[in-house]
Amino acid sequence: MSMKQAGGNRKPGGGAAAGAGRQNLGRGRHSTKGTSAAVVFNGVYANMRMVHVLTSVVGSKCELKVKNGLVYDGVFKTYGPECDLVLDAAHRKIPKPSEGPRQEDIVESIIFKASDVVVVHFRDVDLNFASKNNFTDTAVSGRINGEHKEKDLEPWDGGEQQQHVVSGSLESLDTDVSNGWDPNDMFKYNEEQYGIMSTYDSSLSSYTVALERDNSEEFLKREARAAQLAQEIEASATYKARVALENDERTEEEKYSAVVRGEKGERGEREPHTLNRENKYIPPGQRNREGMSWGVGRQNSPKLVQSSSGPPRPGLHDYSPSSGADQRVVNGGPPRMSPKTQRTPRTHRVPPGGRVPPGVDFMPHNAPGEVPVPPPTRSTSSGGTWSSVVSGAHRPRSPRQNSMGGASPGPSSLPLAQTGTTPVEPATTQSAPSPTAASPARDMAATPSEAKESRVQETRQNSPTANKENMKPLESPPSISRPLSKGPPSMAPDHRKQIDNLKKFSVDFRLQSSSNPDPQFEQMTKPPPDATGEKPKELPLDKGLEGSEEGNVAHTGSSKAGSPGAPSSSTLCPAPEQKRGPDVTSQGVQTSAPTFSGGAKPEDKEEKEPVKDQIIKSTLNPNAHEFKPRVFNTQHKPATTPTPPRPQGQPSPSIVVQQPQQVYSQTVCFPQMYPLTPVSPGVQKSIIWKSPAMYHVQMPHMTVSQSKPYRPGKVANMPQQRSDQHHPQGTPTMMHPAQAAGPPIVAQSPTYSAQYFTCSPQQFTSQQLMQQMPHYQSQAQHVFSPVMQSQARMMAPPNHGQPGQLVSSTTQYGEQTHTMYVSQGPMPQQYQHPQPSATPTGQAQQGGQHGGNHPAPSPVQQHQAAAAQALHMGNQPQQQMYQALAPTPPSMTPGTNPQSPQGSFPSAQQAVYLHPQQMQHGYNPSHMAHMQQAHMQSGMVPSHPGHPQMMLMATQQPGGPQLPQNALNPIPVSSTTHFSYLAHPQVQQHHQ
Amino acid sequence: MAAPGPGEYFSVGSHVSCLTCLGQQLQGEVVAFDYQSKMLTLKCAPSSGKANVSDVVLINLAYVSEVDIINDRTETPPPLASLNVSKLANRARSEKEDKLSQAYAISAGVSVEGQQLFQTIHKTIKDCKWQEKNIMVMDDVVISPPYQVENCKGKEGSALSHVRKIVSMSSHHSFTIEGNTGMAVPES
Repeated sequence: MSMKQAGGNRKPGGGAAAGAGRQNLGRGRHSTKGTSAAVVFNGVYANMRMVHVLTSVVGSKCELKVKNGLVYDGVFKTYGPECDLVLDAAHRKIPKPSEGPRQEDIVESIIFKASDVVVVHFRDVDLNFASKNNFTDTAVSGRINGEHKEKDLEPWDGGEQQQHVVSGSLESLDTDVSNGWDPNDMFKYNEEQYGIMSTYDSSLSSYTVALERDNSEEFLKREARAAQLAQEIEASATYKARVALENDERTEEEKYSAVVRGEKGERGEREPHTLNRENKYIPPGQRNREGMSWGVGRQNSPKLVQSSSGPPRPGLHDYSPSSGADQRVVNGGPPRMSPKTQRTPRTHRVPPGGRVPPGVDFMPHNAPGEVPVPPPTRSTSSGGTWSSVVSGAHRPRSPRQNSMGGASPGPSSLPLAQTGTTPVEPATTQSAPSPTAASPARDMAATPSEAKESRVQETRQNSPTANKENMKPLESPPSISRPLSKGPPSMAPDHRKQIDNLKKFSVDFRLQSSSNPDPQFEQMTKPPPDATGEKPKELPLDKGLEGSEEGNVAHTGSSKAGSPGAPSSSTLCPAPEQKRGPDVTSQGVQTSAPTFSGGAKPEDKEEKEPVKDQIIKSTLNPNAHEFKPRVFNTQHKPATTPTPPRPQGQPSPSIVVQQPQQVYSQTVCFPQMYPLTPVSPGVQKSIIWKSPAMYHVQMPHMTVSQSKPYRPGKVANMPQQRSDQHHPQGTPTMMHPAQAAGPPIVAQSPTYSAQYFTCSPQQFTSQQLMQQMPHYQSQAQHVFSPVMQSQARMMAPPNHGQPGQLVSSTTQYGEQTHTMYVSQGPMPQQYQHPQPSATPTGQAQQGGQHGGNHPAPSPVQQHQAAAAQALHMGNQPQQQMYQALAPTPPSMTPGTNPQSPQGSFPSAQQAVYLHPQQMQHGYNPSHMAHMQQAHMQSGMVPSHPGHPQMMLMATQQPGGPQLPQNALNPIPVSSTTHFSYLAHPQVQQHHQ
Repeated sequence: MAAPGPGEYFSVGSHVSCLTCLGQQLQGEVVAFDYQSKMLTLKCAPSSGKANVSDVVLINLAYVSEVDIINDRTETPPPLASLNVSKLANRARSEKEDKLSQAYAISAGVSVEGQQLFQTIHKTIKDCKWQEKNIMVMDDVVISPPYQVENCKGKEGSALSHVRKIVSMSSHHSFTIEGNTGMAVPES
């Protein structure tokens, strides 16, 4: 409990020491509420301006008149709450203007009651006295500005003297090119005015000796020698360079700070690429850096990513290779960059390809896709999506990358190739099954037809990228892939680029048109940022689609072999559906659910975790990006899911996620999420933790300082999200983590959702979320909270434009964890207003929650259908995802995410805190509801009852997130067990 | 003016004028108003006419009549700058000490010239105090009445010369000449 609380505190405080957890939490809560009552000020003390002005004159001499007419003179010492005034060294002022007060006249200090004071006159007070010496820019410039304003400008009158002295009028000055007075004028002036004769000697005989010229041979020789030396000196490169420095007319800005756009060095491109994340393959080291950079925002995320990357690698490879790596790269870039920048980065991504080193195979694919960037709009859009995905996926990517590296060698090679291709899928898939871009194209075609226009667009985009990739792959298979990634941009710029560009352009064009049509896209477009996010999402989606397609192919092929093939297929189907629309997502979820039921249980999950993770990741991506990400997720998930039921659920969530994508559009959340996502790296582990935490504790955490609790226990969640994103890349491992995390998340999801929601809201609000529909935000948050990590993942996707992925994950969760939904349901309800709230809240609160939850799922679907709107869709999916996640988490619970998660969580928490405030209005209710639901759910679970209450309390509080954190903190301990209970029941119910 | 409600009687930044029960007409810009204590704070034009300073008047509206709002605020009041409290406390302490020191000198019967000199020295050298009627500067130089340059005594050194300089300047101040204004830049 205490630990958790501490974590929560940290989150509120933005990483403050855990020591004062509770207090901090309380403060945080208060602050979130906006009613901080740390100190109650009485009377005048409550009047800020009065306090300010009276304090400003402390130490000033003043005359104080009392009502009987006497006047006291003294130094203003202080004042009381009742406006009693204290004068030091005061004396009664006597009318007669005698000298000064005598020693005996002065009183040490006098306290005047406000009721006796008539007027206090402070003479010639410098009101800025106490605020001076603040050498901050604002303080300095602020004061200067004020002074400037105070001064009245007066026309300058040269006066007689001036006109007399200066030979001319003011007009002459205007045209006077000379630089000030001529020395001779000065001498003349001084002589005339003051009779001063200058001793100036132009020969400067005092300082030097005049050169005596003659015609002697000696002199001529020396003169010639001097001339020669001068010529040599002036001809030297050094001299010229130095002269150039002095005479260089370029501005400092041009020379040193301007962005050079003409020449695109690898780095320059890389940066953009990094932003895009897609094509560039970032070496592990660089990835970490990127992660770090992200980490700043998402501090935890980097670490998490790293950790996660290790485990996930095997499974992840598949996913990561395709989209994962790219996404990661993009993530690295996107976080830093804005969506727009991210977009540009895509184009640059090609250079990133050079970074690819880590996951050669994957990288190549990615690189190709990125390289294609050529199509500006598409590239941008794709980049945006990528970026969004990346942000979400970044962490995942890193894992993916890692996985890529590791996976490529192993059996996953095919999957890897596929996964790697996910973004680039075409290439990988092609390479694996057959070197053709056809698979991508197929995917594209299929997805388009299935998916909505936007999805189709995405798919199209993917196809281009895929084609490009394919092209590259064709030229050089996986092994070559690296070269391609790096090479494509630099190596065969002409042909490849042209082809890629053409493809991209075609795709882009399609995408744009299609994107607009899509509801989600529309929503995205509504908010400018969203629009950008949409594009990015689209890309991710495309990738996801591709990945899904690939994943489908691969999964069907590989995953089927490993685990039920049906799931994979089912997942694949769902993904497309999701992309297409909410309904689709719901369908996908359903399908996924079946797969889950059919698939192995939690145990299976572990085994298939990679796959699950991949699936989850894929789902996340799909959610984030709507199209591809989801598809990937779904596909991956299906593959993985088959084995573990939960995974399946995740897949379905992934489908749902598509709706969340809209949320993602709010990408802002993603950044915050990132911290969480970082946790994802350890997805599997984290998942375990999460699951426990998620169930009971996490839920509380979510509400309270969820981020921290989540992170710790939820780190897994983060990983999950990452995994989700990554899943596309390394389906196997990633899938597992994601799945594992997912379930836990689901259980936790309520709390998490709440927290996340808060967080996401903040993020969203701050960034694009605000612009986006409140529902979306709330939804996004919910999604996050439910999944925790998964949410984080989800969040990340959104940021990157991968929202769809997150959504998908959420949706998946939702499906699986309908029970989860109950808790989550409330969240959704609030967000989704219509269906979600009703089912979730009601269910969540009462024992019937589970039942309600189950109903909720269907409702969710309905909602989705009803909400066809991207927002609603997203919300519902997310909710679903949460639920699903929650269930899985329980199974996953084992992980010890807390620590790493905490680290990451802080950022998330902070974000969360913010969210509470911002979000509080709309979100609080939702959070509350969610919390309640979660509690209810927990209540349903044996041990959780108490925790649930806590959760409820937290939720109830306006600062839901903060409070929840407190509550959550305590809860977590027991929560793990609870989670298991909850998760299982819920899951079962859902499955049932 | 009608009373809209607490805190809304006066809007910060508006200009008001009022007449106190003691017959003093006050006019200035509202800086703050506390409804509970009926305290109104106005910022008025500086009585010294100096720039960058202003008079601050704290008025108890309980003893005021004829409160008129001359014009309402045109701009939102600027945000409150953070205050350096320790700086304020130091000012309060030094002001108090100065006043007590001055009172001590007055009580000691120091001439006006002496008091002026003390103030002049104090402007540049904070470490000066009264010792009976003598001015003690940095515990090094003693200036005794009638406070002329030749009255500066102490250990020969920069301190003494510096004090003498100040004293001479101070005495010169009485017959300060207006400097020639148009000093142009000589030199090349």
